[in-house]
Amino acid sequence: MKPRLTLRWIVFAIAAFVMNFPVLATLVTAFKSSGEVSRNPSLWIEAPTLENFATVLTISDRLNVYHYLWNSLAAALIGSVLPMIVAFPMAWAMVRRGYGRAILFPLVVNLRALPLIIFAIPLYMMYATLGLLDTRLGLGLLLAIVNLPLALMLLVNAVAEIPVELEEAAHMDGARLPRLLFKVVLPLCRPALITTFVFGFITAWNEFLFGLMLTTREAVPMTVGASFFFATSGGGVQWGTASAVMVVAALPPLLLGLIMYRRITGSMVAGAVKG
Amino acid sequence: MIFKTKLRATAAMLAMLAGGAAQAEVTVLGWPGGPEEAALRAVTEVYNAKADLAAENKVELLFTSREGFFDKLQVDLAAGSTAFDINLIATYSIGRYAPFMEPVTLSDQAGAVFGDTVLKTMQFNGAQYGVPTDLSLHFLYYRSDLIDALMADDAAKAKYSEIAMQYLGKAMEPKAPADWTWEDFVANALYFTQSINPDSPTRYGTVIQAKNLLFNMMVFHSWPRSYGGNWMDDSGAITVDSEAFRTALSQAKMLFDLGATPPDSTSYEYAEANAAYSSGQVAAMVQWNAAAGELTTAQAATGTTAPPAGPDGRYTHIHGLGLGLNKAAENKEGALAFLQWLSTEEAALAYAKAGGAPGLAAETAAKLAADRPDLVQVGEYASTYGFVMNGGTAEKALAVYEAQAKEFTGYWAGTQDLDTALKNAAASMAELLK
Amino acid sequence: MKQERSVENAVLAGPIVLFLLAILGFPTLLSLVYGFSETTFQTLTTPEFSGLKNFRDVTADPTFWQAAWFSLRFGAITAVLQCALGLALAVYLAPLVRRHGWTVAILIIPMIVAPAMMGLMYRLVLHEFAGPLPHYMYSWFGWSPSFLGPANVFKTLVVAETLQWTPFAFLLFLTAFQSIPDDLREAAAVDGTRPWRLFWKIELPLMMPTVFVALFIRFIDGFRVFDNIYTLVGAGPGGSTTSMSIYIYETFLRRGEIGKAMAAAILLFVSAFVILALAQRLMRRRTP
Repeated sequence: MKPRLTLRWIVFAIAAFVMNFPVLATLVTAFKSSGEVSRNPSLWIEAPTLENFATVLTISDRLNVYHYLWNSLAAALIGSVLPMIVAFPMAWAMVRRGYGRAILFPLVVNLRALPLIIFAIPLYMMYATLGLLDTRLGLGLLLAIVNLPLALMLLVNAVAEIPVELEEAAHMDGARLPRLLFKVVLPLCRPALITTFVFGFITAWNEFLFGLMLTTREAVPMTVGASFFFATSGGGVQWGTASAVMVVAALPPLLLGLIMYRRITGSMVAGAVKG
Repeated sequence: MIFKTKLRATAAMLAMLAGGAAQAEVTVLGWPGGPEEAALRAVTEVYNAKADLAAENKVELLFTSREGFFDKLQVDLAAGSTAFDINLIATYSIGRYAPFMEPVTLSDQAGAVFGDTVLKTMQFNGAQYGVPTDLSLHFLYYRSDLIDALMADDAAKAKYSEIAMQYLGKAMEPKAPADWTWEDFVANALYFTQSINPDSPTRYGTVIQAKNLLFNMMVFHSWPRSYGGNWMDDSGAITVDSEAFRTALSQAKMLFDLGATPPDSTSYEYAEANAAYSSGQVAAMVQWNAAAGELTTAQAATGTTAPPAGPDGRYTHIHGLGLGLNKAAENKEGALAFLQWLSTEEAALAYAKAGGAPGLAAETAAKLAADRPDLVQVGEYASTYGFVMNGGTAEKALAVYEAQAKEFTGYWAGTQDLDTALKNAAASMAELLK
Repeated sequence: MKQERSVENAVLAGPIVLFLLAILGFPTLLSLVYGFSETTFQTLTTPEFSGLKNFRDVTADPTFWQAAWFSLRFGAITAVLQCALGLALAVYLAPLVRRHGWTVAILIIPMIVAPAMMGLMYRLVLHEFAGPLPHYMYSWFGWSPSFLGPANVFKTLVVAETLQWTPFAFLLFLTAFQSIPDDLREAAAVDGTRPWRLFWKIELPLMMPTVFVALFIRFIDGFRVFDNIYTLVGAGPGGSTTSMSIYIYETFLRRGEIGKAMAAAILLFVSAFVILALAQRLMRRRTP
């Protein structure tokens, strides 16, 4: 049985074009020379150039895009994995036992509504004391806080969707709590864990303000480093370079999304076969 | 208060622990991106190459993000960061950072090299807080080809007078931009706007950058100043709700309402305004001197002169960037030595030659006439037309600019009327400048 | 047994609680002190206790309420738009996605770009003279709306936010939709249920929890919007695009009124806490 796809392809194409229009414009701009950017606003490139990418990818005594990328990668990994680790057992306790639902859940979830930057001063003082200023670990820990609400919400949602019968069956078999959690619940949460990881990684990767405040030299992340490339005097913007930086900065999370999506579909197919 | 003493103790402890290993070099936090950085790198090289300079006093540079620079600096300084010994300051933010900095003594040559007007841009409460490095002011940029064509065409001149009569109530003649008053500026803007004059070669007569942003207020300030406007009088009373500000604000408002500036202007800042002018669809605008290179490259027939005059004279808002001493610096001696050297003629000339834009006294600038003729113009305008508003370096000057930006752009965008805007601005300023 | 359970619960809650305390414990305490004190950047270590003055200042500040209203409106509108679009796309495109997984990668690109960078690029994309959108509008229709002028700026921001974050809702819904067991659908197909009916009667009810979660997350994210708006139009003429985050940020860093910024944040947090706690209680009562 083959569902007809032609109309769906059209809808996909329209949605993809409209949602990606600014991205497309960015991609196009990245291949224009600075003269052409101000002269030619269309999406057609008259004289494609790689000079913007060369500017971004060349290591100079001050600008090292690979260093920023590495910092972002390390900090974003900490910032996306750690919240899942600490939130997973809690999510299960909240769903199955209602433990912490009344206070802790709204407390954590609402952190997302707060502009956390108001904590900049005490955090800065604390980080200075602990030697966490300008370190990837320090930035990563904070990004983990940023991602905690989303991780908890998505994991609570995921655990709630696991049929309780499955867990009961395991319980009848005499599985103890750790075994139940890690051998039964965790695998069933895999799609949600992957989604959480992808969202968390992207959020952490794209964070700007704390990256700015908590680093100076060693741990500067890509978002902050990016602005080094395109600033000109008087608050001007070199649009070509800015676009190229954006493209480079978006590649790692894009790659991750691509790989991880395979996993999500893969696990779902497996689940369907089993179920 | 108990928690007060506790906090003090904690802070002391934190400061002790945060100290860490003493850095040998002098670290300078500079203004990233653009010619300021290139120039600072060049002079640092000159300085570090000096034979008599001890290794522990060599200068090392640090650049953070330009986006959010001052917010980060605020947090760094307030928390007593020792990551740098010397940091960037700007005229409008000296008061804000002064509590975390120390005054400096400049070299004996400083007065002669920079001149008093420029040195003043780095002073707060009578003390010198930094060496001026770059000076910014505004030019009137205009399309000389269009203006020349207008002056040579009698029919066009008649049309110009007619438009001036209709919208400004008097039959004005086109004039050379160097002789413009703000009324001429407005009349010219209307004439070159297609919705008013279908024959106009440009879509808009001017572009006013009116995003709710403090820098945009600086560009605007030359306008009310030339009508005698000021933030406050000598007794400290707020004088923003004055005829001068009313006239300038409503003249500008007229340009917004009549579509003589692009309808998106209320979201424009430096980059957008330049892009509009570069596209050839704008006849004249007031913009930072830093834009000269970009604008003349895009439109070869571009003339520059000082901003238009008002009944009180011709003015241009000036502000400077400079370098000053962090109170928590770990190598104060080395830092002071570098700052002193920066205020010598040798350093200033090297800085200018490497692309920086120091505000120089006429005599110093003359030595650069061959390399940097633009600095002669900037230096001349700064000493002849330059002004800083009363209170322009106060502790909360930055917030004053921001309060005005919010209220004035609100008026231009039509979210509030002139009386409300001025009343709110005056109230905020009274609170901020008391 | 009961005691064993509470020990277990404590162990389960341990990691998250310890982590929160370690990173946010000290900042929260100090922020509470600041919230009830006259604090500026000069008096960080010597805040002067001032009772509820900051809270009175905040609630008397019209900009605070303007920001709250902007954030509520922006959050609600964008959340509904994104979830409606995301749901429609997820359900309609599911058969396509199942066969060609790469299509998802294309659709989620917008949310991978940093919001601050997105805001920056919109400054170019929407520029009347240098931007592609007005360029094509002018060359095809001889006219282009003022996207960022006072009349349209709110709509433009809503559209920009929706375009960037619909993929988020789309991805959540797609996962939920695909985890609906196939036998349910097959059973319905055997019964001769039409696709539209299948969606309303079987699929949507099964996806409802995800719909709520998505609406909630998107609302919070719209409510706290910061980077993209701030880069694109700042606080807006007359402060007309000041979101709650922008208000707190500007009060805190730009005006240096730390106590007042803290007070605003505390008010925001407490009201959000109360609303969410109440909503949860309601939900639990309805689903015993």
